[in-house]
Amino acid sequence: MLEIKNLHAVVEGEDIEILKGVDLTINKGEIHAIMGPNGSGKSTLSKVVAGHPEYEVTKGEILFEGEDITELDADERAHLGLFLAFQYPVEVPGITNKTLLRESYNTIARSNGKEELDPLEFEDYLKSKLEIIDMKDSFLERSINTGFSGGEKKKNEVFQMAVLNPKLAFMDETDSGLDIDALKIVADGINKIAGGENAIVLVTHYQRLLNYVKPDYVHVMIDGKFVKSGDRKLALELEDQGYDWLENKTMVNGEAQ
Amino acid sequence: MSETEALESMIGEEYKYGFSTDVEYEEFPKGLNEDIIRELSARKEEPEWMLEFRLKAYRGWKEMVEPDWFNATYEKPKFDTLQYYSAPKNKPKLDSLDDVDPKIRETYEKLGIPLEEQKALAGVAVDAVFDSVSVFTSFKEKLAEAGVIFCSISEAIQNHPELVKKYMGSVVPARDNFYAALNSAVFSDGSFCYVPKDTICPMELSTYFRINNMNSGQFERTLIIAEDNSHVSYLEGCTAPMYDEHQLHAAVVELVALENAEIKYSTIQNWYAGDEDGKGGIYNFVTKRGACRGKNSKISWTQLETGSAVTLKYPSVILQGDNSVGEFYSVAVTNMRQQADTGTKMIHLGKNTKSTIISKGISAGNSDNSYRGEVKISKKADGARNYSVCDSMLIGQTCGAHTFPYISSENPTASVEHEASTSRVGEEQIFYLMQRGISEQDAISMIVNGFVKEVLKELPLEFATEANALLNVKLEGSVG
Amino acid sequence: MSIAVKEKETILEFLEAKFDPSEVEVISSINEKGIRNVNDFAFPTKKDEEWRFTDLRSISRNHFVPVDQAGAKDVGDISQYYLPEALNSRLVFVNGVFDAKRSDISSLSDNITIGRLSEQGDNEAVKEHLDAYTNYDEDKDAFAALNDAHFRDGAFIHIPEETKTESPIHILNIFTDADKAFYATPRVLFVGEKYSKATIVEEHIGLADNEYLNVPVSEYKLFEGAHVHHARIQRDSKKASHVSRPIANLEQHAEYHSYTICLGAKLFRNDPRVVQNAEEVDFTVDALVLIDGEQIADTHSIMDHRRAHANSHQLHKVVVNDNAHSIFNGKIFVARDAQKIDSFQENRNLLLSVDGKVNTKPQLEIFADDVLCSHGATIGQLSDDEVFYLQSRGLTEQKSRELLVYAFTLESIESMEVESVHKLLLDEVIKYTNRDEEFVAVG
Repeated sequence: MLEIKNLHAVVEGEDIEILKGVDLTINKGEIHAIMGPNGSGKSTLSKVVAGHPEYEVTKGEILFEGEDITELDADERAHLGLFLAFQYPVEVPGITNKTLLRESYNTIARSNGKEELDPLEFEDYLKSKLEIIDMKDSFLERSINTGFSGGEKKKNEVFQMAVLNPKLAFMDETDSGLDIDALKIVADGINKIAGGENAIVLVTHYQRLLNYVKPDYVHVMIDGKFVKSGDRKLALELEDQGYDWLENKTMVNGEAQ
Repeated sequence: MSETEALESMIGEEYKYGFSTDVEYEEFPKGLNEDIIRELSARKEEPEWMLEFRLKAYRGWKEMVEPDWFNATYEKPKFDTLQYYSAPKNKPKLDSLDDVDPKIRETYEKLGIPLEEQKALAGVAVDAVFDSVSVFTSFKEKLAEAGVIFCSISEAIQNHPELVKKYMGSVVPARDNFYAALNSAVFSDGSFCYVPKDTICPMELSTYFRINNMNSGQFERTLIIAEDNSHVSYLEGCTAPMYDEHQLHAAVVELVALENAEIKYSTIQNWYAGDEDGKGGIYNFVTKRGACRGKNSKISWTQLETGSAVTLKYPSVILQGDNSVGEFYSVAVTNMRQQADTGTKMIHLGKNTKSTIISKGISAGNSDNSYRGEVKISKKADGARNYSVCDSMLIGQTCGAHTFPYISSENPTASVEHEASTSRVGEEQIFYLMQRGISEQDAISMIVNGFVKEVLKELPLEFATEANALLNVKLEGSVG
Repeated sequence: MSIAVKEKETILEFLEAKFDPSEVEVISSINEKGIRNVNDFAFPTKKDEEWRFTDLRSISRNHFVPVDQAGAKDVGDISQYYLPEALNSRLVFVNGVFDAKRSDISSLSDNITIGRLSEQGDNEAVKEHLDAYTNYDEDKDAFAALNDAHFRDGAFIHIPEETKTESPIHILNIFTDADKAFYATPRVLFVGEKYSKATIVEEHIGLADNEYLNVPVSEYKLFEGAHVHHARIQRDSKKASHVSRPIANLEQHAEYHSYTICLGAKLFRNDPRVVQNAEEVDFTVDALVLIDGEQIADTHSIMDHRRAHANSHQLHKVVVNDNAHSIFNGKIFVARDAQKIDSFQENRNLLLSVDGKVNTKPQLEIFADDVLCSHGATIGQLSDDEVFYLQSRGLTEQKSRELLVYAFTLESIESMEVESVHKLLLDEVIKYTNRDEEFVAVG
């Protein structure tokens, strides 16, 4: 579904390279976890895949269902079925969740030649998805993320993902700052959406979330590259030993193991 | 910055109403003196008291100095070369639509305002003012059944002199300020509305102002009176052709609300704004004021200001009656070289009077957008309350946003709260919305829409769509 | 005063001009410019936007003479006004004239220059910075021009690089009783070099209940990374007129925090300006105004953001009682390329009396697009709920009100770094709130 080949990226207009040759393949139905210390580039990777204008791809390619998407704008990527759950969901005063989601849903449906939902149908559809994150109806009428608590913002990201039902979702630190109850709700939500045709990439610093959402693959990113990939056990190893042993390894050998 | 460009192109969309209509005009000399005023009054067959009103205003005006305290710079109008009266030659009898010059009818069709009653927006009566002369008023009979008088001010002077005499100049005195005095001296026409006691006006009333003639100044006069326990909602729309020369528009609007009466006055102002280099465009120097004379009365101003090269306009409410309420909701958008200095005055005189001010300014391009407001709590206004919010949004690096609120209180039981903020459309907000599949243009529309919707929801429902279209926001049905 | 209608009135109509040029060249050249301006600038009227609400009759109905013609009384013992923290770092000016006997700067380290402007004529810093930042020509400020024309002396403080004052510096301006109304033009020049640090307390005290015109000008120049805490306490005679123009000019990473306390004077007009001359600065322009009787307190402040990255904050708190009148016009300017400015202004007014009056005009003028600027202004009374709450806890209504006014002012006072100033202000607040009773049990 997604194929990233030798991806290099810099901050637009600056020389500092943040991604230094990333390779990643994700197939339908898979759950991947990308782990790494702060500043390793894992958040940048999700933004670059989503098409954030702040970053410029200098080398390599991102293929989504065989199509190179590096030149596409963020909205065009979203139309293809790419979703990013933001690490810091942005507040947009004056626009309600419902307004945004209906516009999003219908725009995406339109661009895929599917039928749009009228306001009443859409309302019912939204309510069915609200249960996933255990939120009240009033949640729909609030301005996007405005005045939301940290936990509510993260739940809102999972809710939006459930509504838009993307083929591939990058979830950037969706677990950070959640208390245990909220973490379970978010994890439950993710599990309900995952599987079948959809693929999910969890970008996280800790393996906390991975107790509830079981990844098929775990990749460790350090200094703009993947230094190690494995299955779920790798996450547990990291929990025990931290990132140091991997960092040292890269330092010594000069390249990823 | 691409989102900036996108928004600029959105609100800077080419002016759709810039065509001009080729009609014949009555000849009238340029310049201004007492003879011209006498001639003007004579042509309109006005009574003596009206002429006296005009002359008194003119004499006052001559003594006055053109003000310059506002935050705008422009070439001053040349008052001696202006034409102070301009009327289409084929003046209709104002009774039948068939009498209206087909070219003028066509103009209104083009503007999307059909004058035929069967084509009109449901529940909206229209007074069409073409170059300061009322050319047609629709639904007159239907309104008359309810006892509502809705006609041109010229007709009102002929047919309802006692009302005009009593109220004209009672809110905006003939010598109130430079432009109001000029208007009082030379006003050509405008709308008049009288809602009798215990009457809810059955329709939305609206006036569509159209400037067509290149050389004439535009001086309309509007007077609305709401008697005890009455209610009326009124909307004005304004467009003008594109000319290279600046044109002066100096109108006066007076509102009088008696006991328990409510007047809602909305404006969608889309005069020609001039081109990118600031060439041409309307000088919109308007005095609008309402008096809440009776207890529990209410006057509400809502304005969407998108046009004009220079706008100086402060719709105000004098809160005389105890428990009266004044409201001001405004969205002012400036782009290119436009300059807007607009806001309101809330003068609290009565006890427990309440006022609310919500002002949203959006500046883009090389424009300057200023909010200027005054809240005055006089000594006797026990328990008066004011709440004001003035927010500005900046788009691009070369525009300015300014806030000048004057607040004064002489009463210890009153409370005044004022908040203002200035911010910009954020890149992160746009990316967030784009990631949800929304195009950049639509994302900006949504943000702008979210910024102004608190104000737009105050517009009469029938015009909300027009307002949205004007802001070129494409989210039909999702606002509100 | 002449009755004939004139084109324009200057401040010279209301005072006996005596402007002998100083013998110190750097000062005399400023005097000459000042004399030209005094003759040139009109005395403000209500038609001037910046003076629209200000009643200047306490000046315009008077005739002020130079202090040496006023029959000024002896100053006597003023040690009660000395700050214990600044016993050996104090400059005293009596009626605008330096008082060597009462000044004491023995505690300051040798490399700090502190003393009289008139003795620093050859000092390069004085030559470079004196009168460099007032910019009063721009708004044709007749009062600043008067200071320029008339000042012969003043306080000069120069803190060298990486130097810190161990104790606060106290600039004490004392005004005595006199037979005639007089005028005085105190002047301060402060220069903080790179990464210096200083605390300054500038104080104006009127010993009697006489009329005089106090027109101070102060200039603060802060170089890279300099930190200044600047307290200004105005306790002039309740019949005095005080018109001042304190200016601060900031270089990169400078931090300037100023706190003005207005207690005295019949007319207090204060035009503080902070100019951000380089990126990344931090500043505060706070004030607490407590007025009653016939007092007028008028602040026209400017926070002038000319470069990118600044954090600025203004809290202007006012309590008005009796017939007093407060005016506030606080401007936040953000210039075209001054991005990333975070500026917040708050004006809170408590109007306690039926005859009091408050005018406020918080003003934003923003020309840059990536900024976050906001202001809030409120005018109100004490909350009935709060009064009731305290009453229900057994306090009298009067006492409840006093306590709430006291609480309202605390926020401003707590910013005071110097302990004795902090205490002094608490006492002043109690004096202000407790007008009828002898003793109040708060504090």
